[in-house]
Order: sequence, then structure tokens, then C-alpha cells
Amino acid sequence: MSTVDQATVARVKEAVAAHGNGHLLSVTQPHPDTLRFAIDKKAVRAVVAALVEQLQARFMISVGTDERSLTGEFAISHLFSLDREHLYVLIESLVSEKDPEIESITEIIPGANWAEREFQDAIGVRPEGHPDPRRLLLADDWPEGTYPLRRDFPYNYRPPAAENVRPQMLEPPKGASVVPIGPFFPVLEEPAYWRMFVEGETVVGCDLRIFYNHRGIEKLGDSVLTYNEIPYLAERICGICGFIHSTCYCQAVEKAAGIEVPRRARYIRTIMLELERIHSHLLWLGIAGHIIGFETVLMQTWRIREPVMWLCEEISGNRKTYGMNTIGGLRRDLPDEIKPKLIEILAGVEKESVAVRNAIVGDLTLQARTKGVGGLTNEWAKKICVVGPPARASGVAIDARIDHPYAAYDELPPRIATEEAGDTWARVLVRVTELLESIRLVREALAAMPAGPICAEIKQEIPADRVGVSVVEAPRGEAIHMVLTGGDNRPYRWRVRAPTYPNLQAMPAMVAGANIADVPITLGSLDPCFSCTERLETVDRRTSKVRIYSHAELLELSRKARSGGAR
Amino acid sequence: MTAWVIKIVAACLLNVAAALLLSPLCEGLMRKLRAALHSRIGPPITQPYWDLLKLLGKEDLRSSGGFAYAAMPAITLGSVLLLAALVPMGAAAPMAFAGDLIVVLYVATMSSVLIMLVGFASASPYASIGSSREMMMLLSVEPILAVALCVGAFKAKTLALGGIVNWQVQNGPSISMAIAGVAFFLALQAVAGKLPFDIAEADQEIMGGSLVEQSGPRLALFRWAMWVKQFVLAFLLVEVFFPWPHFAAPLVDLAAMVVKVLIVLTLVAVVDVVNPRLRIDQAMGYFMRVGVSSLAALAFAVIGK
Repeated sequence: MSTVDQATVARVKEAVAAHGNGHLLSVTQPHPDTLRFAIDKKAVRAVVAALVEQLQARFMISVGTDERSLTGEFAISHLFSLDREHLYVLIESLVSEKDPEIESITEIIPGANWAEREFQDAIGVRPEGHPDPRRLLLADDWPEGTYPLRRDFPYNYRPPAAENVRPQMLEPPKGASVVPIGPFFPVLEEPAYWRMFVEGETVVGCDLRIFYNHRGIEKLGDSVLTYNEIPYLAERICGICGFIHSTCYCQAVEKAAGIEVPRRARYIRTIMLELERIHSHLLWLGIAGHIIGFETVLMQTWRIREPVMWLCEEISGNRKTYGMNTIGGLRRDLPDEIKPKLIEILAGVEKESVAVRNAIVGDLTLQARTKGVGGLTNEWAKKICVVGPPARASGVAIDARIDHPYAAYDELPPRIATEEAGDTWARVLVRVTELLESIRLVREALAAMPAGPICAEIKQEIPADRVGVSVVEAPRGEAIHMVLTGGDNRPYRWRVRAPTYPNLQAMPAMVAGANIADVPITLGSLDPCFSCTERLETVDRRTSKVRIYSHAELLELSRKARSGGAR
Repeated sequence: MTAWVIKIVAACLLNVAAALLLSPLCEGLMRKLRAALHSRIGPPITQPYWDLLKLLGKEDLRSSGGFAYAAMPAITLGSVLLLAALVPMGAAAPMAFAGDLIVVLYVATMSSVLIMLVGFASASPYASIGSSREMMMLLSVEPILAVALCVGAFKAKTLALGGIVNWQVQNGPSISMAIAGVAFFLALQAVAGKLPFDIAEADQEIMGGSLVEQSGPRLALFRWAMWVKQFVLAFLLVEVFFPWPHFAAPLVDLAAMVVKVLIVLTLVAVVDVVNPRLRIDQAMGYFMRVGVSSLAALAFAVIGK
């Protein structure tokens, strides 16, 4: 557990009180590292400006909650992090249904752009003075005045489809033409519609429409599922960092309910989280190579990645989506007998990863394609509140594992890699360094793992109206889950923010003035994960028949198909 | 008289048939090699033939009207087949009487220009970006091919390809021809549309560029034309710049030639595997430097080296 300095708490309280100008209603500290301020909505902008300018608070996310059944009004919360001080600050204001407006903070924090548009779409509270209040979350044919996250909105309601609707897109500047990238495009694994405004081959601006994959996961969490069912849904938020989301959710509930997770479970969580980082970074390296036409990198890194997937299967029974997390700890232990095997495989992965790193770091053509490409300045990285490797590559030394330690990171602190250049090459270097660091962390966690239970016994019901904020450093950056507990064995509100959410907002700054050929690798260098951002998944359920194929059989089958047999 | 015509027609047919039928096989071999370097098994060597068959059997869809647009794939393939008849491929060029070096250069450029035009006519932003890239590549690569071949013409004091080949065979290696040969090889990489110069296609950036709107039989013919071109230009490279060892026995020479062409194509495939794609401005800068080196070859030729 990180310790929060009492002087810092006093300083934050003082600053909020001073700028709240008499509109500060209450201060609570629901958890030692969380300060919760209730302020009148008239003072939001002044307080937020003070937090950002005086205390260098970093904006994380906004949460809109329909609290009409509790307080009769909507609640809008802005969540901030004081990274060096290990403190979360929550600024909450109530907004009445009759006058659903609140001061926009996007002018102060450009990175709050999407967050405010999201609560506008979901709850129906208008951010007043927002520079670009277009629709973000909802489909283009979603009827006006229907707000899906209000509690009187049924989770299974389907509005009638409308004809002939199209996204409201910005017009290109005069003299520029539009090169569409998406909604479906070779380098986008998931749908996103970028409109690049180009003059010749130079990008002069861009516009984006995403959220084609919105699944309503948060809605399911507070209307259908129970506390202990949500980890399985949370794990399916993302196909790559599923364990990160289930851990982050469980931690938020554990924090809200005051549940102490056993050390052994914390260590195993750390191991799984780092394994996810290893296979995710290897996956990313391959995709980055593919984007610039370097298929050899793709083929080799994915080959190296395979043993890591095998490791995960050995531990959890699955290559991905382990289903191990539950509130209070884990459902599945990591047997000590398999440790030597794990360490042996890990050594092989490390050897090959080092070879890949050496090959990449020395490759001049690769540098020609990535150095000085997609630059994100330190100033913009802070303004957009970018997280993860893109932030660290621009000299913003933030990492949730250090700033808000969770799992076993208090005993196993990672050495974080930062670069100053802010270009795609810097992001490559940061990720390659992190890859090797994660291998070290897994090895040390395996060695230091204590014996003991893997799950806390929970005797009491989780009390209502508690708040829990939790972060996990995903491979792509910091994931945030916030839970407001409810009375009926499920959260009153469950808020998820994936790291791609802030990172994608940095794209316009990164591609301005770029060559169109550099746009795909610039986008790729963010390691975007749209499904996390949009919180949706698809399940292939063509056949309900179960047949188990061995590895050899599958290979045999695929080779047969390749040589002309039926697929 | 008629015997003479029949002989020429037969030689032409032989060259054209060899180019048409063997170029997909070479592509298949290159794919296999690529796969091996990727740690993959890769498709069967005959896959390009199946690709062509599949594409040829599909519906003919066009995004623009007009006779010229409709005929473009056939004309493109025709132009590279004409090139096959103009280039010596293990024997004297069958249609050597019809034109010299200058004609060969023009015919070699034709297919690129046609693909560029088809891109501009397709009314797709990706195709027009691809075509403008194709044009820039053409402008930076074509002079290198021209200068490299001119070095040979200067040394042999003839513009006829056959004459240059004979001169090379008789006089043996020289510094100028070696430099020109390397420059030609580097340009070949771009002409064949291989990495790091597949910029005009750039699947991940512009989804295939000029040919993005082409499908079915049209795509088959364009693909085939590009394979034929890479095959014929590899022969041209080997014939003009590296004709030794010459055994004066036609069959042995042909076999040696085929082996050398395979070596050239292997090199092309290896360069393709170990490089990421360059940006168009980087590629143009690169070819500018190659162009200057090829001028050095010309300078060596002038002083008789």
C-alpha cells in the first residue's frame, strides 16, 4: 500500500476550499489514497483549474451517474491523480434534471474532450462551453433524448433503426482532400473511421469517428450482473489485456468494501499481469513491423510469443481470458510444481527477445521509418493526459505500478523506461525495454511468491454507497475502474476507462504535418485497442459441438486446408 | 523467306510462352523462400498459378467505363510480352530487328505507365495516391535503367542489345559494367515492386494503390504482367551485365542463364524480406544516389575501364 502524506492531503483540501469560493459542500476520504470533494457545479471549472495548475493533477476520467434514486439528481465526477503523491482526487457535483448542464473543463484540459461528450451521450448532462459537442458514444441513428446509462433505461431496450443517417464529420480545410482510413482498413484490427485531410501527401488535419463497437458493458454491470459475475465480463472487455480489466475491477470492489487480498494472490496477479504485458508487447512489435511492411518482424515476434501463450495456458488452462480473478483474490492457484518449467520457458523467451531487441535497435531502415515520425511533445502528452508507453516515450514518467502500487508491485517495483524524443522510435524503445523488464518481474515474482491462501473470506455483504478507484498499468497504459457500490449485490455504477481512450485523442496532434505514409505507423505506435475503448466483444457460436483437437491435429488440419483440401 | 518468318515467329512464341508460363513459377519460388525466412511453411510453389486461375474465373467488375479502361489489363500484359520478345532470354532476342535499346526502354516503361493510368482512372483516393507514387518511382528509377544500359551501349559502340551482349561475352568483366549492373539490380527491386520499394502498392497505407479497384480477371492480368516483367528484366540484367561464363554451347548456356536468373530473383526476395517499406521521399533520395553512382559507371566507361 502506498502511503499518502498528510501534508499533501491538507494542501489539496486547502486549494479546493480556496478556489471553491464557498461552494465546497463536503470533503470525505473514503480510502486513505482517495479524496472526495462534493462541490456546487458553479465552481467546477475554478476548482479543476486550481488542481491542474497549482497541484499538477492529471485528469483521468469523468463519470456521469444517474443518482436520481438516491439524491434526486445526476452526479458528474471528475477523477484526478496526483501521481507523485499517490493520491486520487474526486470532484463531484450534482446536476438537476431540470437544468442538465455543467461547466465544461475541456478548455482547461483538452484531454477531457471525450469524457465530457461521453456523459453527455450516456446521462444527458450537457457540458456547457464544450468546443466540440458532437456525438461520441452512441450510434448515429440513436434517437435524440434517449440516454442509455440513466437507471430508468432498460438494458435490453433497442431503439428503432433509422434510415440515411451518417456521422457528423468535419469538413476538410479549403484546398485539402480527404483520404479515408477506415472504418475498415488493413492496419486497423477493429473499426475506426479516420478522415485524413491531405494536401498532396501531407496531412493537414484529421477527424475521427469511433465507437462502432459499443457494447454497453457498464450498463450490464449495474443492471443485470452481480459483483462476482462482473469479473468474467470485465475480462472480456479486451482480447489482449483481459486479466488487467478483471484485476482492476476486483481491486476497485475490494477497495470499496475494505477487503484485504492475501499476499500470494497479489503475487499471482502480478505474474499474470506481467505475462500479459510480455505477450502484448511482442504482439505489438509484430504488428508495428507489419504496418511498415516488415513482415519478418511480425512472423518472428509472434513465433517468440507462442511459448508465453503456452505458459498462460499451463497456469490457467487458457491461452487468454483466464477466468482466475474473483473478488477477494483468485479462484485458481499457481502450483509450485510447474515453477521450474515456467522459469525454463521464460529463459528461452528472454533469449529470443534480446536477439529481437538487438536486431531492431541496429536496423537503420527501421529507424528511417520511425525516427521523427508521429512526434508527441511532452507538453501535448500532458495536455491530452496520455498514458502508458506513449506518455513515457514523451518524457512523462508516469506508471500506475509506481504511482498507485497494487498487487505485489509495492514489493517488486518495476524500473520504468522513459525516452524524451516522443516519436515512434522512442515508443518502440520504451516497449522493447519494458518487455525485458517484465520478464525480470515475472521471474522475481515467481521466486518471491509466499505461501498461503489465495482468496480472502468475505463474510459480510458489500456495503452500499462506497466508492473504490483502482488502476492497473496495462501494456497500453493505465486502465481505470471505478465502482460505486449499490445495495442489490451489484455496483450502483461501474466505470471503465481503457488506456487507448486518452491515447487516441493525441492522434490529431501526432499526425499534423505528417506524410500520409506515416499515418498508419503513427496510429500503430499508440498500440490502439478499440474494443477496450468501446467495451464490446463478439462471440463466435456457430457450432455448439465440442471436439478437442490436439496441437498436432490442428497443425495437420491447417496444412491440409492449405494444400487444397476443404477448409 | 517464309522459313525466316517462321523461325522468328517460333522464337517469339518461345520467349513469350516461357515468360508467361514460367514467371508464376518464379514468383512461387520467391514466396516459398520468403516463407522460409519468416519461419513459415508457406504456400505451395504452384500457388501463383492457382491464384491466376481463381482470379480469371471471377466476374469482371469495373469501377469506370470506357474501352481504354476495359482493355488496360490486356494491353499491360501485352506490353510486357512484347518486352519478352525484344530481350535475349538464353538466346538472341527474337525480335532484335524490330528495335534496339531505346525501344526496349520504352516498352519496359509502358506497363508502369499503364498501371499508373489505370489508377488515375479508378476514381479512388488510394489509387490516385498510388499512381502519383508510381509516377515518382518511375521518374527516379527509369533514368537508372537507361544509364546502366547506355554504359553497355557506349562500351560496345552499338545500341543493339545483341551487340552489347556479344561485346560483353568477348571482352569480359569491367569496372563500369559491374557498377552499372549493381545499379540495374537495385532499380530492378523497385521495378518489380518489392520491398523496400513497394511504395506504390503499400497495402497497409493505401490498400494496394493503383490496383485497389482491380479485381477478378483484370487483377489476374495485372499480376501476371508484373511477374512477367520481373522475370524478363532479370534475364535482361543477367544477359547484358553478367553473361559469363559463356560455353558457346546453347543448351549449357541456357541452363547457366536460368541458374543466374534464379540467383538474381533469390537476391530480390531476400532484400524484400529483410527490409521495411521506405517512404516515397526516402526512396527517391535513395535512387538519386544510385543514379549518381550509375553516372560514375558511365565515367569509367569513358576512360575505358
